[in-house]
Amino acid sequence: MIVVDELSVSYGAVHALRDVSFRAETGMITAVLGANGAGKTTLLRTISGLKEPSNGTITFNEHSLGRQKPENIARLGVGHVPEGRGVISEFTVEENLRLGAMMAKVNLTEGLEEQYQRFPVLGERRKQHAAKLSGGERQMLAMARALIARPTVLLLDEPSLGLAPQVTAQLMHTILDLCSSMGLTVILVEQNASTALRIADRAVILYLGRVVANDVASTIAADEDLRQHYLGKVE
Amino acid sequence: MERLVARRRLVLATGLIAAAVVIALLVSSNARHAVALIVAIAVAIVGVTTLAIRGFRQAHPVLSRATLTIVVLDAALFATYFFSSITNFNLAIGAAMSITLLGLSFLTGASGQISLGNSAFMGVGALAVAIWANHHTSTPMAVTLLIAVACGTLVGLLLGLPATRLRGPYLAGMTLAFAVAFTAIVNSFTSWTGGDAGLQLPTAVTPPHWLTSFFNAQTSILRVNTMWLADITIVVTAVAFFFMANLFASRTGRAMRLVRDNEVAAELVGVSLPRARVIAFMVSSAYAALGGALWTLINNSVQPPTFSLALSITILSLVVIGGIGTISGALIGGVIYAYSNNVISWFTQHTGINPQSNLASQLPGIVFGGLLIVTMLFAPMGIAGAAHRLRGRRRVHSPE
Amino acid sequence: MDPFLTSRIVSDILGGLTNGVIYGLVALSLVLVWRSTGILNFAQGAMPMIATYLGMVVFAHRLGYWPLVIVSIVAGFAVGGVTERVLVRHLYGKPEINPIVVMVGFLIVLEGVAAAIWSTTPRGIPNPFSPIDWQLGGKPIALSPFSVYEIVTALVVMIGVAVLFRFTKLGLQLRASALAPEVSRLLGVRVSRMLTLGWILSTGVGTICTVLVASNFFTGLTPQVMDGIFAFGFIAAAVGGLDSPVGAIVAGVSMGIVLQFVGDFVNSNAIIITALIILIVSLMVRPNGLFTKSTARRV
Repeated sequence: MIVVDELSVSYGAVHALRDVSFRAETGMITAVLGANGAGKTTLLRTISGLKEPSNGTITFNEHSLGRQKPENIARLGVGHVPEGRGVISEFTVEENLRLGAMMAKVNLTEGLEEQYQRFPVLGERRKQHAAKLSGGERQMLAMARALIARPTVLLLDEPSLGLAPQVTAQLMHTILDLCSSMGLTVILVEQNASTALRIADRAVILYLGRVVANDVASTIAADEDLRQHYLGKVE
Repeated sequence: MERLVARRRLVLATGLIAAAVVIALLVSSNARHAVALIVAIAVAIVGVTTLAIRGFRQAHPVLSRATLTIVVLDAALFATYFFSSITNFNLAIGAAMSITLLGLSFLTGASGQISLGNSAFMGVGALAVAIWANHHTSTPMAVTLLIAVACGTLVGLLLGLPATRLRGPYLAGMTLAFAVAFTAIVNSFTSWTGGDAGLQLPTAVTPPHWLTSFFNAQTSILRVNTMWLADITIVVTAVAFFFMANLFASRTGRAMRLVRDNEVAAELVGVSLPRARVIAFMVSSAYAALGGALWTLINNSVQPPTFSLALSITILSLVVIGGIGTISGALIGGVIYAYSNNVISWFTQHTGINPQSNLASQLPGIVFGGLLIVTMLFAPMGIAGAAHRLRGRRRVHSPE
Repeated sequence: MDPFLTSRIVSDILGGLTNGVIYGLVALSLVLVWRSTGILNFAQGAMPMIATYLGMVVFAHRLGYWPLVIVSIVAGFAVGGVTERVLVRHLYGKPEINPIVVMVGFLIVLEGVAAAIWSTTPRGIPNPFSPIDWQLGGKPIALSPFSVYEIVTALVVMIGVAVLFRFTKLGLQLRASALAPEVSRLLGVRVSRMLTLGWILSTGVGTICTVLVASNFFTGLTPQVMDGIFAFGFIAAAVGGLDSPVGAIVAGVSMGIVLQFVGDFVNSNAIIITALIILIVSLMVRPNGLFTKSTARRV
């Protein structure tokens, strides 16, 4: 479980997040929604340690995450699939996965097999350079790489970006599966609100760095006003 | 109101000039001295008053730069009359070096390219003067200088063409190789270049009669000669700096800075990237060649081993310490170059280091290298840049 | 074919190979530091030089050659690590000219300090390998026990580095830290340690190279011992491509052999001129080096 309390983050004079508070429960998917620039990516980056908060706390089980280095936070079991996926194009698929397994005390061969079973496409292309993968395949690789370390928390930043609707639907299905089978705490940042709300348990809406809504996903999905106001075009 | 101020200024200026004439007549021992003194003071007064006119600098940028140059020149030339031969000699060497520094400063600051080969360009200019003078003794000195600059520009073009496509480290590598290869090239043609011993100028540069007449019979020839050399160098330096200041502010200069900062934007605006880079390279090599050519005149000879990779590193270092991309930085660098030995020997004397020891001989290098590191880490904009920031800060705090 | 010509050609190839592996090692260490931290280390010859002097000081010939070598290499690791932590840290992300100027300054300081402490007189390093060339049919070919030692050591180091980078976890982390530092941190890689390690390794490789050069009977150890070699190594790295370890080695060895021929059949001045020409031509053909996979980097 991740508890964010009165979190404030600024870039110089610009306040990206102000007094953000919410909980992401274990075994549940919490969607973080909002328009561009609302602060969603900053939120994830602060949780995973890439950005230091100016105020507030982030607690992961008993650990206080606020001022720790990203590599240490990752070793605690927080997996972050960043904006743009962060797949290393110069590495092969397998090298990317090996990198992901680096810090975990998992058997490498077992870990690789597990991911190849979950994402057969990756198994087929294991010796290819990641540069040759399609958008959807890259997303799978990024997720497999985060999963191979057996994280307990998964932070996903706009996984559906640039993907065709069919691929997105499959992806969301996979995330739902993973969350329940692995008992993960998932924080899912998405611009595509409908997609996220379909699989999320709870949802938080950010607007100009503040929380404007924090409720059960179905409630938010049903609230037309809310969606029109803060989530842009309603699908 | 404006006209009132202007008339008051005119009256003040005329009054000062009249006072100057009187003082000059009283002070001078002969008519020649008096005239020279009056002219010097008059030029200074006129120049300063013109620059003080409000709005003049904005309305006539080129003219005001010219005026400033003339005023500075006036003061400098006046001063050289009183300096000893050693001071004038150092001044000349330092001024010539500052021309080279200005060229590199422009290349690095305005167009963002690194060059470790400017000692070779200096060598090209220096050798060009010596070789030409030895084969065509009747050419006037000014023409020989221009020939040297032309040679330097040509070599700059040859090197600049491949350089346009190279990024930082590769460019550094290529210019470094050029600097090292230059020594070898020079050694391959010892019949032309005189090898290690170098070449002498067939006729030393001698001052004209009207200058010599300012001095009495007791003054040494050396004193007059060095003054003349210093004067020539200072005039050339002033002209070179004047051109650079205009180039920097011109459309070409702005285009180059755009290329340095944002290539994509530059291309969108229609700036040809390779062309801007090559021009910058040619300018820096032309200036370096000019500096080297002046050195040959001042020393009356050229020794090719002088123009080594070590000198290139010195040049780059001085540009950095003085301040990249600034005109004052180049001047500061020139001064440092001229007087560094003096400072170091003063230092060794006063700190009790044995002047014969290894430490003493290595001290210039160690201090120099240390200065480079410290400057780049803590004041990357050099002395000129730091002074700029201080001035800016003071202006902010002063009560308005 | 004329037997004298044959032996001359063989001699040039062997002599060139010996020089070439040294250039290749220098080029390799430059590539290592460039790939892992994005800095062009102008002091790549001077830092190992100091380490070698330290090695000599500690052992002063009494304990033999191999302990001296080991101490020098360890000193090299230390020099590399300390330099990264104290000096280079501040240079990441700065404009390209900053690291170049700082490392040039560092080079000058190191050579000055070495000369101040140990003077510029060459010091011999007695070693168990004879520098006398073997003879083939009465004529000396440019191969001696010492040159074989050089070639073998260089090859071992090159293979070792290759194995490290391609097949070990550490190598993977080093490469990842250079290619994608942020992502690597998210995957638990201690990136800043990897950067230091990059410098430690590259200085270690450089030290092995410097020890080889300084052990040469005809060279000896001086503060300037690596100056000329650095220039050629740098050119080789640029020709091969600063991103390519393979390119560095191939370019280094090839250049060594080509330049040996040039030096023999033309004259010694032509050597550096030829190197310059090779550099210009190769950079015009491929501005990022011959062996770099052409990324869409716009010039």
